[in-house]
Amino acid sequence: MNDSDDRIFAKRLREAREKLRGMTQTQLSEKSGLPSTSISHFENVDGTRKPSFDNLRRLAKALEVTTDFLLGRTDEPTGGAVNEELYRNVQLLTDADKQFAQDMIKQMIERNQEKDKK
Amino acid sequence: MKNHKLTNAVLTAEKIIKDEGLTLPIDLSALANRHNIILQPKPEENHGVSGMLIRYGESFTIAYSTYIKSTGFQRFSIAHEFGHYFLPSHPENVFQNGKSIHESHAGFCSSNQIELEADHFASGLLMPKHLFSKELRKFADGLTAIENLAEICKTSLVASAIRYVGLTDAAVTIIISSGNLVEYSFSSSAMYKIKGYTHLRKGVAIPRNTLTYSFHQNRSKIERSERASEDTDLMHWFDTDEEITANEEVIGLGAYGKTLTVITADATENNDDEINEDWDEPRFKK
Repeated sequence: MNDSDDRIFAKRLREAREKLRGMTQTQLSEKSGLPSTSISHFENVDGTRKPSFDNLRRLAKALEVTTDFLLGRTDEPTGGAVNEELYRNVQLLTDADKQFAQDMIKQMIERNQEKDKK
Repeated sequence: MKNHKLTNAVLTAEKIIKDEGLTLPIDLSALANRHNIILQPKPEENHGVSGMLIRYGESFTIAYSTYIKSTGFQRFSIAHEFGHYFLPSHPENVFQNGKSIHESHAGFCSSNQIELEADHFASGLLMPKHLFSKELRKFADGLTAIENLAEICKTSLVASAIRYVGLTDAAVTIIISSGNLVEYSFSSSAMYKIKGYTHLRKGVAIPRNTLTYSFHQNRSKIERSERASEDTDLMHWFDTDEEITANEEVIGLGAYGKTLTVITADATENNDDEINEDWDEPRFKK
């Protein structure tokens, strides 16, 4: 995320909460387990408070959208980002590490597919 | 100047431990399970990076190196990756431009702010103050305390030593040296309060006629992780205004030719009310 991405997150969070799910900050707070003050800060486009992955995951789950949507990496609320090049900027990884990471991603994809079937 | 983000990283980790009611040694597998994160050891023969946080959509895997056998090192690597997951602002830094993998090279010497924050988070996660301090009081000051704490927390000797000087009330300095030069050193706040105390910075030569100096003359002692102890004086090490007797303990850190020295001052008549503005919490930084 860069500066404009920060604003995208703030906008997307509010959009998902108000327009998509019709929830108040308090309701989202209860559902996500995050303090409502944190949600208020996150939705402030001029604010400096930024989420962790744990925060993002909780918010995405509570709002039934993806973290990629909240981060502005896809315009589909339940869509995932397309990673055409997984290893962009990962110059430091050895080939073995890249292969290992690739295998882990495959496993996560398979697990997700199994979950979806259930 | 204090780096508040590093302090906050430690506090974030400690809050997680409190909220989840975890005890020492912190069960990282349990933490991963609760947060639906997969922990995956890398094959031994894969030297590569010490740890990786891999994301696919809402799924996360922490991969960690097993090339270095030390449980403490492996646990610190995992805890460091948890830092990238739990700390604010890390999503924008660790997975830039749609990247799905974040790689980390553990080793207490990163100069990158994000990696430093993750190191501090790891320290707070594995050695949270509220649990660590309670254990700390059970042992004699110095290497004995550090070794016992490392055993209790299942952390490396060096990581435990750094945390120890940050939390002990005793006047203690820990020094990591190699080839008779200081790589880094940390002192407790009580040590900083001693009049005239001069901090040993990176690259400073270990004083001659000290146990640590003589230890470095015999590499096999270091490789065999031998240890030794003798009386010393703070004036000799830190140029203090007065002679203050202390104990110097040295232990070899194995194949890399480094030693850990622990200098513990005898109980001194410090003015505890005096606040030393120079003291900063130990950081995982050279």
